[in-house]
Amino acid sequence: MSGQGLDETVVGASLDAPQVPGGADAWGAGSQEALGEPGSGAEPGPARGSEPRSGVGPVMELGAGPVTGPGAGPESERPAEREPEGGPESERRAEREPEGGPESERRAEREPEGGPESERRAEREPEGGPESERRAEREPEAGPESERRAEPESDAEPGLPARGLDPAAGDEALLNEPVAWRATAAAASTGSPLPDVPPPPSASPPGSPAKAANPGSRRRTSVDPVKALMHRHRELCERAVDALEIAAGLEAHGVTDRTAARFRHRDVFSLAEEMYARVPRDSDIEPESRHAVSGTPRGRRPVWAALALLPGTLGALTLVGLDFTGGRLRLAVGAGGVLAVSAALRAALRRGPLRATAHTGPAIRAWTCWLLAYALLGDGLLSAAVSGGPDEAWAPATAPLLALAFAVAPGAWCAQLFGAVARRRLASSRGLDEFVASVRPLLLAVFALFLCALWTLIGVAAAVLGQDAAYAGAGTLGALLLLARLLTAYGRTHAPAVVLGAATAAEALAVCTVFAGRLPGCGFLAVPVETAVDAWGPGTVPGLACGAAALTLLVHAARTLTRASAHAPTDTTP
Amino acid sequence: MRIGLLTEGGYPYVSGEARLWCDRLVRGLEQHEFDLYALSRSQDQEDRGWIELPPQVSRVRTAPMWTAADDGTGYGRRSRRRFADAYAELAAAVCTGASPDPTGLAGAPAHSAGAEADRFGNALYALAELARDEGGLVGALRSETAVRTLERACRAPGALRAARAARVPDLLAVAGQIERALRPLSLDWYGDDGLGSVDLCHATSGGPAALPGLVAHHFSGVPLLVTEYGVQLRAHYIATGDAELSAPVRAMLAAFHGGLAAETYRQAAIITPGNTHARRWQERCGADRAKLRTVHPGMEASRFAEIGEREEPGEPGTLVWVGRIEPSKDLISLLHAFAEIRKEEPKARLRLVGAPAEGPDAAAYLAHCKALAAQLFPDEAEGAHAMGDNPVSFEEIGGPETPDLADAYAAGSVVVLSSIVEGFPISLVEAMFCGRATVSTDAGAVVEVIGGTGLVVPPRNPRALAEACVSLLRDPGRRERLGAAARARALELFTVEQNITAFHGIYLEIVSHCPVRREPVDDAGDPLPFANPPEAHVPGRWTAPTSESGGGFGTWLAGRSASGGPPSWAGTEGEAAAPGGGAVGAGGGIGSGGGVGSGSAVGSGGGGQRPAGEQSQLAGAFPGGEGDA
Repeated sequence: MSGQGLDETVVGASLDAPQVPGGADAWGAGSQEALGEPGSGAEPGPARGSEPRSGVGPVMELGAGPVTGPGAGPESERPAEREPEGGPESERRAEREPEGGPESERRAEREPEGGPESERRAEREPEGGPESERRAEREPEAGPESERRAEPESDAEPGLPARGLDPAAGDEALLNEPVAWRATAAAASTGSPLPDVPPPPSASPPGSPAKAANPGSRRRTSVDPVKALMHRHRELCERAVDALEIAAGLEAHGVTDRTAARFRHRDVFSLAEEMYARVPRDSDIEPESRHAVSGTPRGRRPVWAALALLPGTLGALTLVGLDFTGGRLRLAVGAGGVLAVSAALRAALRRGPLRATAHTGPAIRAWTCWLLAYALLGDGLLSAAVSGGPDEAWAPATAPLLALAFAVAPGAWCAQLFGAVARRRLASSRGLDEFVASVRPLLLAVFALFLCALWTLIGVAAAVLGQDAAYAGAGTLGALLLLARLLTAYGRTHAPAVVLGAATAAEALAVCTVFAGRLPGCGFLAVPVETAVDAWGPGTVPGLACGAAALTLLVHAARTLTRASAHAPTDTTP
Repeated sequence: MRIGLLTEGGYPYVSGEARLWCDRLVRGLEQHEFDLYALSRSQDQEDRGWIELPPQVSRVRTAPMWTAADDGTGYGRRSRRRFADAYAELAAAVCTGASPDPTGLAGAPAHSAGAEADRFGNALYALAELARDEGGLVGALRSETAVRTLERACRAPGALRAARAARVPDLLAVAGQIERALRPLSLDWYGDDGLGSVDLCHATSGGPAALPGLVAHHFSGVPLLVTEYGVQLRAHYIATGDAELSAPVRAMLAAFHGGLAAETYRQAAIITPGNTHARRWQERCGADRAKLRTVHPGMEASRFAEIGEREEPGEPGTLVWVGRIEPSKDLISLLHAFAEIRKEEPKARLRLVGAPAEGPDAAAYLAHCKALAAQLFPDEAEGAHAMGDNPVSFEEIGGPETPDLADAYAAGSVVVLSSIVEGFPISLVEAMFCGRATVSTDAGAVVEVIGGTGLVVPPRNPRALAEACVSLLRDPGRRERLGAAARARALELFTVEQNITAFHGIYLEIVSHCPVRREPVDDAGDPLPFANPPEAHVPGRWTAPTSESGGGFGTWLAGRSASGGPPSWAGTEGEAAAPGGGAVGAGGGIGSGGGVGSGSAVGSGGGGQRPAGEQSQLAGAFPGGEGDA
């Protein structure tokens, strides 16, 4: 079906309506009149002529424009008979206008007097902008068509039913104007006069409750119908980013091309373009900084915060249990304690700020276990090895492990602090560089905070358990593990795996070289480690290995975790 | 021929959209081989499985749109450079607003808009090539490089006003959304065993579903057919209207999706909108009018055949409304109109058939409507001793009064539609199949569907609705005339058969005019010399002088509409058989669209393995006969 064919058939359908008393007749008359319009010269706009007109056009058009025509003609004597020709819509409007139509010619003079209409407009349409200012200047003398008709002609002929979109068509309409009025008036008078059926009180259109109360509303809409439409859809207009969005929104509200024709537009798109162009925009308006929702729901905070304390608590209980038991039971308690602590650790890391978003491979886990095992046994082994042993079982260093288990809690809290503050900075910063500049000190500060907490814990644990405080080994290990986990939590799994592996290898190598030095001819291998251990103690090896690794990860984290893309909200999959 | 059917959140899945239509299409065109390439929209959709597939579906490949695995490995330096360049192009196109042609004159886009579209397309294909070489884009599209590139583009001169105000969260959101939208680029569908091997890509919707088609067109020259029953760009606008996104994000995303739509329409060989409304949007977004063929959705007519052919005109004085009960149907207005009708026709009855839509709003609306009906129309009885009854009844399909849908229509003499918002009005088409006179409001595609075979009134105008209904209720002869005309129209335009026939014709038309040119290879993969007969390549120019290689469909169309004279090789018969450009009719103008094509060109696509029946059909499509190989 081409548009033209559609056009004809639809008009045919509306003409098909028989002359039934009671108003369907008025419908038919309206369409006849509409069909007659192009011939009469009152219908200059080629754009409107190409519109599919389903019998809707007449009804709406009469409300918009030519209804003023009959008012100038026979109407002045018989105002009551004006209704039938307009169909239901204009009937309702006519009733709302007690002053009647005869003044349509003099409307321009009446306009400046004020009256209910201008007052209403002043209070209902407060939006500013250059457009409305210009209109405000022009309106007193320009009359109803001031908005669309910026040409000087509009001053001369205020009551014109102008519909042409282009000025040329409008001029043509102006020239033909009296003829047009006569033609429409004649069309109206041929319509059979019908008894005035008052519209039911419920029949007012749902979209315009204010209209029914306001006697001047018909003229108000005819002055600037687009403005009324904009007012009705002002939220849509204000938030639209382009004309197509307004068009989509209007269509979702039931505005069709036929409706757009009432606003003297070819289609919804051109109507939307006008609306988009007329929306007052203040370029200085800052988009209000929306507070980004924190990744962790507030309500679940106590859960992970409490869980973070669990590994330390269980570790302490295990140590107490080990203290009070002996023999086989002691072994069972030890094994059970290790299992319990690792389970608690998993639970603590599965939720909260240290939750891994990406899949962590088995490598990271294996390296971490090795590093922890070394922290427990490595120092003793190394010192025994350097002094020629190991000859007997040495005491494991439980204090660093206990401190590390307790350090899960400050680690999680620091990570949470970092994430929350970074998200807030994200919401408030204007550029990526600004964000980086503000987050990098934050990361370092949070890291320093954690280090303080960790060293305190190490000191306390060593004091309580009566062991040496292995600040170098456990401190650097804790820092390394925190950074690795933080990077994992932000989806960077590659670097932690590599660096943890390197630290593990370094520690293993150190021990191996000591033992390898015992082989004949390989004594030189053990020299560096033995020298270091002799000079600074066995904590040197893990201190150096983990310290270098932690430093590497810190540099890496300071580069990657301070990027905005690291803090991008994870998209919620439907 | 082999057709790659591209869907997104659609066909093979049980909960997919438009699966019914795709299913009918695939079953109706059993002479073709279908490969399904489906993007799923959610885990839930995947879990619910597929519907049963007919045997002509030879292969199904699916990929999730809702998740993407970031492999975590970075690119090498050269790839990073390539990515940065391509993404910068894309970002520039997005931030300067590669919006569809603002003049609204499709077919004659402004020069700058054309350059902008080129820019967007080039960036897209550069990213696609990168994804093919590197195996994925997901990590890169989310990387800091991408975000920084976006920021630079936003701050560059000439950027959209809204984009200039973008803050860091906005940039992140845009980068995330673009990554989501470009996920199809990372798929491994484009090899010679995938979309490279099909003769035609049929995208069942625009947007993400068409993206694989675009890439396949770029890599392998596979022609692309885009069918849109609802315009994807419009759906995007509606969706972002609900979402809580800031203005810069919405502006940039609108520009991105606008650019994607424009590129899709530019590269598509043929675009088939489902109705005039979609067609207008497509023209607005830059679709060439010569490529547009409106193909109305098909509906099962057989279940209404009995009602439609029955002479009995339904209960006189009964109005029927059928649909899902929700506020956009404006039943309030209908009830008020019915109050008016009752003044004129006291015997009139109104039956509202339908269930409330999902959600609490719809249920509340139904309750409100029932209350209003009870308030407006008291129960009334025949005499002093009869039971009272309300003239307005609310029924559901499957109830005692209306066991099935056809009975609902059969019960009334006039079917009413009172919507204020409407897409493609299914209940109206069903009423037309049933041969019922209709009164409907002018919303959506109503006017286009009804043609002249029913009355149309403005929406939100109960009085006009009432007058139209009364005029029909009082005139049984007119009712019958309109009903018969409506049924004839519906049988002509809205049946499944017309839909399938139209697509059958369009497939042949596309394949005959822009066949995929492949180097024929043997089983070992070595090129086969002389596998294509020399006639496969038409000597001389087809139509107008063309600078593009491969004789694309677009150039063929342009040449056809521009040059008046016949092609150098075509006789006058062939030219006479060619229809006027851009025939809108669903049925007409499709089979004959191949009038200019040559049968020998068809042969080059697949060589000799086509079924014989298809060859004969192809030959039948060319009236001249001289083009037959």
